[in-house]
Amino acid sequence: MTLTAERVRTQVAARMEGGVKIYGSGGTEVRALNGVDIGFEQGRFTAIMGPSGSGKSTLLHTLAGLDSIDSGSVYIGDVELGSLNDRKLTVLRREKLGFIFQAFNLIPTLSAEENITLPLSIAGTKPDSEWFGTVVDMLGLEDRLHHRPTELSGGQQQRVAAARALVSRPEIIFADEPSGNLDSKSGTELLAFMRRTVRELGQTIVMVTHDPLAASYADRVVFLADGKVVDQMDDPTQASVIDRTKILGG
Amino acid sequence: MIRTAIKGLMANRVRMTLTGLSIVLGVAFVAGSFVFTDTINARFENLFTEVYAGVDATVRPDEASSNLGDAYLEADLLSEVRQVEAVEVAAGSVSGFAQMIDSTGTPIGGQGPPTLGFSWVVEPALNSLTISEDNGRAPTSVGEVVIDVATAESQGLAVGDEVDIQTVGGVDTFTIVGLASFGSEDNLAGATLSAFELEQAQVLFDLEGRLSAIDVLAVDGVETDALVAEISTVLPGTAEVVTGEQQTQEQLDQVTEGLGFLSTALLAFAGIAVFVGAFVIQNTFRITVAQRVRELALLRAIGATGSQVTVLVLIEAAIVAVVASAVGVLAGIGVAELIKMAMNAAGLGIPDGPLTIEPRTIIISMAVGISVTLFAALLPARRASSIPPVAAMSEMGVRTTPKSLRTRAIVGSALTALGALAMTIGLMLENGASLPLVAAGAVGLFMGMSTLAPLAAGPIARLLSAPMRDITGKLARENTIRQPRRTASTASALMIGVALVAFTSIFAASIKASVTDTLEGSFPADLAFASTNFSVGVSPVAVDEIAAREEFSVVSAVNFGYFEIEGDELVVIGVDPSTVSRVYDMKPSIEISELGDDLLVQEDVLVGNSWSVGDVITVDYPGSVSDTVEIVGTFTDATFANYVIAEEVFLENISDDQILMVFARLGSGVSLEEGQAAADAALSEFPNVDVNTQSDQIAEAEAQVDQLVALFTGLLSLALVIALLGIANTLALSIVERTREIGLLRAVGMTRRQVRQMVRREAMIIAVFGALLGILIGSAIGLGVVTSLADDGLGSFALPAGQLVIWLIVAAVAGLIASVGPARKAARLDVLKAISYE
Repeated sequence: MTLTAERVRTQVAARMEGGVKIYGSGGTEVRALNGVDIGFEQGRFTAIMGPSGSGKSTLLHTLAGLDSIDSGSVYIGDVELGSLNDRKLTVLRREKLGFIFQAFNLIPTLSAEENITLPLSIAGTKPDSEWFGTVVDMLGLEDRLHHRPTELSGGQQQRVAAARALVSRPEIIFADEPSGNLDSKSGTELLAFMRRTVRELGQTIVMVTHDPLAASYADRVVFLADGKVVDQMDDPTQASVIDRTKILGG
Repeated sequence: MIRTAIKGLMANRVRMTLTGLSIVLGVAFVAGSFVFTDTINARFENLFTEVYAGVDATVRPDEASSNLGDAYLEADLLSEVRQVEAVEVAAGSVSGFAQMIDSTGTPIGGQGPPTLGFSWVVEPALNSLTISEDNGRAPTSVGEVVIDVATAESQGLAVGDEVDIQTVGGVDTFTIVGLASFGSEDNLAGATLSAFELEQAQVLFDLEGRLSAIDVLAVDGVETDALVAEISTVLPGTAEVVTGEQQTQEQLDQVTEGLGFLSTALLAFAGIAVFVGAFVIQNTFRITVAQRVRELALLRAIGATGSQVTVLVLIEAAIVAVVASAVGVLAGIGVAELIKMAMNAAGLGIPDGPLTIEPRTIIISMAVGISVTLFAALLPARRASSIPPVAAMSEMGVRTTPKSLRTRAIVGSALTALGALAMTIGLMLENGASLPLVAAGAVGLFMGMSTLAPLAAGPIARLLSAPMRDITGKLARENTIRQPRRTASTASALMIGVALVAFTSIFAASIKASVTDTLEGSFPADLAFASTNFSVGVSPVAVDEIAAREEFSVVSAVNFGYFEIEGDELVVIGVDPSTVSRVYDMKPSIEISELGDDLLVQEDVLVGNSWSVGDVITVDYPGSVSDTVEIVGTFTDATFANYVIAEEVFLENISDDQILMVFARLGSGVSLEEGQAAADAALSEFPNVDVNTQSDQIAEAEAQVDQLVALFTGLLSLALVIALLGIANTLALSIVERTREIGLLRAVGMTRRQVRQMVRREAMIIAVFGALLGILIGSAIGLGVVTSLADDGLGSFALPAGQLVIWLIVAAVAGLIASVGPARKAARLDVLKAISYE
């Protein structure tokens, strides 16, 4: 049991090797990623932190196949993203990845339930009703399923987004400032839930945030500055993250 | 403000180009119609002035006698006219029907422009025809003919060739001795010309010792007024004299009247195109205002007043309108040139020369384009003024407060009802004057329906998307429902075109059904004979030839002419009372064999005139002969005329060569084929007479209707194209609005193909929605019009379901085509940019 858990734990869900991403050219050239090597183990909750312009969003986007890197390679499991065309990349996102964005996560014309099952509908498959029940139950969305996004609070909307990310049992969920637009109560509820899915369901999550409190819900924090990984920390607390941020000048 | 407006436009070039295009198309047709009409007038005026330059005055039978087929002057009159002091030269001429026949026995021309026969006028100053040096000489003896250059060219005929020509008496063979032009033109508006030596022409046209006209050249220094006055003193009561100018003008009016129908039709279709364009414009401005809520609110926040915002939007509209209208006028000149080319290709020779572009054309076209655009943009502009400054700060600025559905339902229903009422009244009024009322009613109907359409958008979209079960279908459906006004207004533009097309189909199908019913119900004859030439009937000699064949048991002719009752000129037919009932069942109240010298009147006409059977009324036959006749009975079938008299009376009092149709029944044991063969043999000398079986007649009538339908549908397709521009525009704008949504869909795994499919399906839902509404309205209008024309022989309403379904499919396909651009654009959105788009 322990052995199995250990083996799973050490398997890498996503990684980047020598990742370089350049925006602009000549005098205005910006190296958003400047040689990033990093891996994300299965079943862990990793936070990526860094000051504005450190490249943390670019890192997330390139890991998630939403953007390409200029050199180096990105793997989701064993699949190298650079070798995939748009269609294969799209299918990979649909089948293996989940997304929670800071805002505008939901299609306004679809109900909460339809939004949750959206990736499955796109793939033309039916949701596993038991798993769907588990996810909805865990997020406390049972009595909100038939509401449209405009009829939901910000916190509820983000929980629907989280449910959507989970429902297809992705190998990894990418979250971009998921609590950034929420009040503190809704924010902590969402983060607590995300941590539960990692602990109880073995989900892998990579989250970009600039909020030390949000980062403290993660198992590990990676610090980025000027397109490079400059530090990392296991089992962070809000205080230790703030201290480290100060040292790094973020 | 103007600078802000220009910048606003430059930022949205593509959608403004699409909007502009919908104005350009409408304006182009308005301008094109004017340019074309002016050009025909100017060209023909030019030509006639040139050709008749030498004629100072013309003596001819007066109008009363001209209405008869055989109006003429006595030849002696020529010498009397020559005696008049003011007359320098006078030349008499005859004219009549002359149908050339090609080597296969088929008549040349005659299905539109006339087939004219003349005597050759030897006095060059008075001859409208000229023969150029290499083209032979004038006809001088029997058996010679000069024909027009255009016909010679199209038939491959040259000087020295022989050609068969049919005249009143029959077919003769002539040698072509010359090819003539009409002034500088090879022919006259498509007419075929044959000119003979005078004496021969008199024989051919059955005018021995008679003349059709006398052209006069005045002595130098004599005013035409004085000339006319002098000549009129020697004329008998049945002749009149007119100036050359007047004659030219009358000829010009005749030609332009014929072609003017086309101008009117073009202008009507241009109007439809402009109307449809207005919908597209309104929709575009409504969407762009909605999308720029934050920008406009920012202007408000920094101090612009509500009316300044309205003005800003209107200035934008005005700039688009001016540019597009100007382009439209230029395009209109091209349209006119195209129409001219098409007409020349169809053989309706329009004299060469430049297009006529009157200042009036430019002013009206620009005014129409600009005012329609501004009017259409007015509502969105007004709405823009009501945007509160706070909208600049809100996250979702796009939302506009939906208007009360009840208000919409009331306003829409009222407009629809008013439109329907105006149409009904317009249709019930007497023919002609009511057309503007019908058109206004149609406009009201369309606007009312488009006001109501948003209420139906949801249910219909759900219905249409029912077969699209997957996620793209669902999203497409929800996208059409979420902005019902936008969807409805986009669909409305298509609705108008489809409604008119559907109406045309229904009207045509009803005409066909009525023709079939009438032919099958009222004509028990086996064969019908009619002239293929519009200007001449079946020769009485031909009737005798047919009657002489023993294959036919009954041969009966319908003579066609006019008489007057209380000053009204009326169509009357003369039939053989003893045989007509066996070939034509007019459903009389008495046995027609008992008609005698009296009169039958159509039932409704009898009632309308408050006559009753037994009344004795006075009729005036041509040539001022009056008679009293008794109304001995009534009949119901009004296919030919409302008045029926006996053939004998007709021949004596009206005319002896005005046979419209001849019907025959086969003798017992004679097959239809044998009958046809016998008819062909009997008619070998009369190539202009066609023999038809009943099914031939039905097919022929249907073919004629189909031709008109094709023409109308072709012109209406312009309105459809504009509506499609509208769909493409709406979709493109909606996609810009939904950039983030599409980005999200792509992020969570929607493939490009699925995105394209989603957009395509949305387009199809909108298009089919519009087509459904159009078919609904078109059917309603069709039912109304057909019902109102029931008394005019349109007895059967027919709904061509198959055709209407085809139009639905066409609409769906058209929607698909309109969505190609927007779908591609949506699929190519950069996912990352889309999700971070604000």
